[in-house]
Amino acid sequence: MPDKLPLNDLQSIWQNQPTEPLKMSADTFLERARQRQSRSRFEARLSMSVGLACALFFAWTFTQTHGTLAQMGWVLFSLWGVYAAFHAYKWIRPNSQPQSAAVSTCLEFYRGELERRRDHLQHRWWRSGLPVCILGMIMVIQGTGARNASPNPFMNAIPFLGVLLLWAIAFFFVKKKLGRENLQQEIEELRAFERERTHSS
Amino acid sequence: MNLPESIPVKDIGRDSLYEQAADTYGSSIDRLARAYEFDPDLRRDLLQEIHFQLWRSFEHFDHRCSLRTWIFRVAHNTAAGYVMRQRRTKDKLVSLETIEAMPGNQNEWVATGTKDLERLSKLIQRLKPLDRQIIVSYLEGMDAGSIGDLTGLSRNNISIKIHRIKKILRCWFGQGDTHAR
Repeated sequence: MPDKLPLNDLQSIWQNQPTEPLKMSADTFLERARQRQSRSRFEARLSMSVGLACALFFAWTFTQTHGTLAQMGWVLFSLWGVYAAFHAYKWIRPNSQPQSAAVSTCLEFYRGELERRRDHLQHRWWRSGLPVCILGMIMVIQGTGARNASPNPFMNAIPFLGVLLLWAIAFFFVKKKLGRENLQQEIEELRAFERERTHSS
Repeated sequence: MNLPESIPVKDIGRDSLYEQAADTYGSSIDRLARAYEFDPDLRRDLLQEIHFQLWRSFEHFDHRCSLRTWIFRVAHNTAAGYVMRQRRTKDKLVSLETIEAMPGNQNEWVATGTKDLERLSKLIQRLKPLDRQIIVSYLEGMDAGSIGDLTGLSRNNISIKIHRIKKILRCWFGQGDTHAR
């Protein structure tokens, strides 16, 4: 092996590496497509069922609860279950990658993926419906406590809410904000490349 | 080895297009999968996924670009999507610029005595998808124009990137081999 490895040699090392070319039959593809479709359908049905089961359970709890405030809390929980089921279904449904993968250049596709990830991070708080869930929780705690004539029911929930708040700050606001900023920076760089390509052609 | 610019597209359907593509570019697609996944079992899965997406994509093949460009776009984009979904790697990937600025990377390889191909694969797998696509295309022997069509970067940017790739490869492979063996 010489001291200096010519770049052409690297190209031939790369191109001459042992490979195991694959060739699949149309039947295998059709079977794979069928399996994928039925798996997506199963996951969508499962997530919807779980969400709707939660919604029904919370609705049943609503009927068993006395006191307007607590009842409103359970209604919010119930709505949150429906909302979560809908969003789970929306995110699980099969995407249209094959078409976009072929029509887009690698640059456009990569930027699109980064943008999707950024948007995913950006709206996670609202998409998960956590504000509704937390509001419902506070109403249930406060309403149940008032019903049981506790002197200050909200105080009992403060440790839990404190931990929840710390988690929200650490997870959503700090970590995700840093991640979003890095993604945004990379997206801007890719857009600059695209602009340059447009100008030069 | 030069990849053929195009394969004759006769009056053919999706299955025949796929068969011709697999026959003509099967080895290139296998090497491409190696650039994205080191683990043999996972690589097999990725390779199957690339072939599956290729087969599906041929339903929409509209001759707006050459068949070769189409095949490599689908393959690279499928693999890039795969890399971006991998939690274990996606946040550790770096750009060519970062690799170029890394000090002492030669010594790392000299110390481990890793073989050239393995070294090359490990270098490639540290890169972000777009830079990875460029270096793989360069190693496949594609010219700047073809890499531009594939990636969507301007010829000027491709030239800069290739210059950078050559510099990195010289730095990583130019010296130290004799000390390693």
